[in-house]
Amino acid sequence: MYSLINALKSRLPPSHMDFEGQRCAETAFQWVLGIFATIGFACGYAYQQFSLTVYILGIGFAIAALLTLPPWPMYRRNPLKWQPVRVNNSTDENDVSVGAKSSRKDK
Amino acid sequence: MNTFLSRLNSLFAMTMTVLAGLTFCCFLSTVHHTHHSIAKLDTPSVLVRQAPDYMIGHEINDLGHMTLNIDADLNHLFNWNVKQLFVYITAHYKTEKNAFNQVVLWDKIIRRGESARLQYSRVNPKYYFWDDGFGLRGNPNVTLALQYNVIPNSGRLLNIYAEGRHVVSMPENYIKGRA
Repeated sequence: MYSLINALKSRLPPSHMDFEGQRCAETAFQWVLGIFATIGFACGYAYQQFSLTVYILGIGFAIAALLTLPPWPMYRRNPLKWQPVRVNNSTDENDVSVGAKSSRKDK
Repeated sequence: MNTFLSRLNSLFAMTMTVLAGLTFCCFLSTVHHTHHSIAKLDTPSVLVRQAPDYMIGHEINDLGHMTLNIDADLNHLFNWNVKQLFVYITAHYKTEKNAFNQVVLWDKIIRRGESARLQYSRVNPKYYFWDDGFGLRGNPNVTLALQYNVIPNSGRLLNIYAEGRHVVSMPENYIKGRA
């Protein structure tokens, strides 16, 4: 079952975002929902129909989903800066420990 | 927030929380309402007879029958936080056998959007007016009251009495057979 789910998931397109993009997406949907909640409450109170409030909030949910759920390119503008791949002749373990010690000495 | 499903989860949870907050604000916006209204009740004909109540065995009890005139306007009770009104008329009286009796004679459900103008003339009651014993004949003080439950979308379930009660004096003599 687990391998089946993983096989299905790997067929879908990737949906990752940068950390900065995730922050933007969260702020964006919070604002969208907040604005539509306020509009919905005002319209519902004016027309005295609570169903209007719920429908307007539903529209806000749809807009927020469209804006933040798919991984738009604007959310991928700050990718993580990984270190470049190091190619060395000697074995890796010693190099890693030497690299770590030298960075601490630099500080 | 890195995967589609985790963003969907956050968005949906926030939407539900916001909806709960809006529902609470809807309740707050109507908490100060008093639900006061005036009703005019009348009983054009009042009769009492004795009959065996077969629902509870073969005991003979007093059975009252009074046609009703109802005049009330409850349209102002509706707002965006009211789902429906459950309106009913009760008869309150005291007998030697029981200190407090309350019998529902008539009721109606009025949903939001339906007309809440009650104008009934010489209407038969919906339910039998049985007494426990023989306390209806000659009873000088049977009070009819119109009450309603205001059923909200969110908030407390209220039971309000309309202003205006009608006191009936029951007849001294039983009638026999069909009236």
